[in-house]
Amino acid sequence: MATTNAGDECVFEAIALKKEYDDGQVQALRGVDLRIHTGEFVAIVGQSGSGKSTLLQMLGALDHPSSGQLLYRGKSLEESSDLAAYRAREIGFIFQAFHLLPTFTALENVQIPMFETSRPVAERKTRAMELLKAVGLEKRVHHFPSKLSGGERQRVAIARSLANGASVLLADEPTGNLDSENAGYIMDLIVNLHREHNVTLVMVTHDMGIAHRATRVIAMRDGHIVSDGAGVPSAVS
Amino acid sequence: MTFLSIVSRGLMRRPVRTGLTMIGIAIGIAAVVALVGMSRGFQTSWTNGLKTRGTDIVVSNMGSALTPKPFAATQADKIKSLPHVAAICTLMVDLISVEKADMMIVSARQWGGFSWGNLKIVSGRLPKDEKEKAVVLGQTAADVLKKKVGDTLQLETDELQVVGIVDGGAIVENGSVILSLSLYQEITGNDGKINVIDLRMTPGTTKEEAAELTERINSLVPEAKAVSAGDNIRNSQGYRIINAMSWGTSLLAVLVGVLGVMNTMLMTVFERRQEICILLAVGWRRGRVVRMILWESALLGFLGGIGGVVLGVIGVKILITAPAIKGLLEPDLNAVLLAQAVVISVVVGVISGLYPGWRSSRLMPSQALHG
Ligand SMILES: Nc1ncnc2c1ncn2[C@@H]1O[C@H](COP(=O)(O)OP(=O)(O)O)[C@@H](O)[C@H]1O
Ligand SMILES: [Mg+2]
Repeated sequence: MATTNAGDECVFEAIALKKEYDDGQVQALRGVDLRIHTGEFVAIVGQSGSGKSTLLQMLGALDHPSSGQLLYRGKSLEESSDLAAYRAREIGFIFQAFHLLPTFTALENVQIPMFETSRPVAERKTRAMELLKAVGLEKRVHHFPSKLSGGERQRVAIARSLANGASVLLADEPTGNLDSENAGYIMDLIVNLHREHNVTLVMVTHDMGIAHRATRVIAMRDGHIVSDGAGVPSAVS
Repeated sequence: MTFLSIVSRGLMRRPVRTGLTMIGIAIGIAAVVALVGMSRGFQTSWTNGLKTRGTDIVVSNMGSALTPKPFAATQADKIKSLPHVAAICTLMVDLISVEKADMMIVSARQWGGFSWGNLKIVSGRLPKDEKEKAVVLGQTAADVLKKKVGDTLQLETDELQVVGIVDGGAIVENGSVILSLSLYQEITGNDGKINVIDLRMTPGTTKEEAAELTERINSLVPEAKAVSAGDNIRNSQGYRIINAMSWGTSLLAVLVGVLGVMNTMLMTVFERRQEICILLAVGWRRGRVVRMILWESALLGFLGGIGGVVLGVIGVKILITAPAIKGLLEPDLNAVLLAQAVVISVVVGVISGLYPGWRSSRLMPSQALHG
């Protein structure tokens, strides 16, 4: 189903979200209010240092906010007793620097998140194989990351983010380390996931061309949201 | 891919460091195996020696030395006619240097006593009488001293004739120079002195009766202590010191291994900070990360332990061929000791992994993944 319309259910709700580093010396988020709905494709833009990555990390529960509220499907993440399960099952995170484990093959990297599921070992391998096939890497499954190109590494990372069937993808400049050809391929891959599987997608990018494929563009500066183009239709048909 | 393959991959990423750490722990474990195996071997060899002599109770004063303190031979007369005593044999047992051997067991036995009974003649004969200036040698002793029947042996200042080579049935017996008690007393100027009484009980003596007998002996002969043959050496202070020292020394070596494993695991956690953050970011529970670290260090300990056992056993086999030790003891490398050594090593591994594991569990996934 190729839809870019936002569903009604609120996936994320941030209320006065703040994040400080170094005992308050750095204020990365200075009070962010935000709602993201099921099936949205939100692009976050802004200058370097404006707090985009920090916001994404809060959404992915990779760190704790300093203050404010962050709800996932109506439930506070801070009060959640099992953030590991949240990271493992609900969220797929894609990093600019890929962050694959260097001592494991592509196939093994994709299986890593599956350790937090009850899926039998043999099945994990089959599923990882399918996921790698879906990103066009069936011929490279036994390669170590160091033997893969940047684009291929990011494809492994995408397969990994889908390992446990995440309904939300958080991507932090996923094409930032890639040449334009690979970047185009990776973008298509991610956008297709959003479209075809109704995955909610939040992507940090500095590429306005990419941002225009989103259903909504949020601009940040100095830890604030300065514009939120909610409802602005996507430039992509 | 199983959890164990993740664990072993962690160790394989730095094969040289893993190997060196394993060698470190293996040396410690080898020390445990060798030292404890030798000191236990000393005990079992001694006990076996007593058993083949047919001794049920040993009366001696095992002070802090390895050989018992001498006392008057007349004390034996008090014991002779006690109930349940079948026979006694007085001895003077010494550990002295004989010719080129630094440590040799000299076992001087009451002429006609039962302790001669177990000696099987391999060549030659036993002494003709208690005054003949003659010795018989256990097979290993003959080997170590390079003597055969007809040679002379210098004992203290006297020249004695080697008249026989015997098989004593136990390693201590075979490692001994055996001669008549009165001859040895004469040579050493220890007239009327003995330091061991071997006692054989009448058949069918119950445990309670044996205990009563030892108690009676202990009150009759206060300068010595009667113990059942099996307990004899274990109760000696000298043996206890050796045993404690061998454990102490080897555990010290193990401690060095612990520091090595701990250092390696800490380094591993530091240099894999980013990877641990990745594991946490994709949803691994902290407990699983800690378990990974603990399993890694346990596996390191296990492999080091296996290596140590092999090293220790080989080391001991080489060590006992050394002339200074040959014939004194048979190392006791039983399966329990070897298993104990491996268990110690695994425990060492787990303990060494605790702090690094705790460190890893305190990482926040965002910490190494910015950008
Ligand atoms: N772990 C950290 N420690 C200290 N300061 C940080 C940390 N992470 C981010 N910052 C700071 O927070 C601000 C926002 O960073 P970030 O969210 O990475 O911005 P962006 O992704 O928009 O470039 C920057 O000033 C950055 O230096
Ligand atoms: Mg950033």
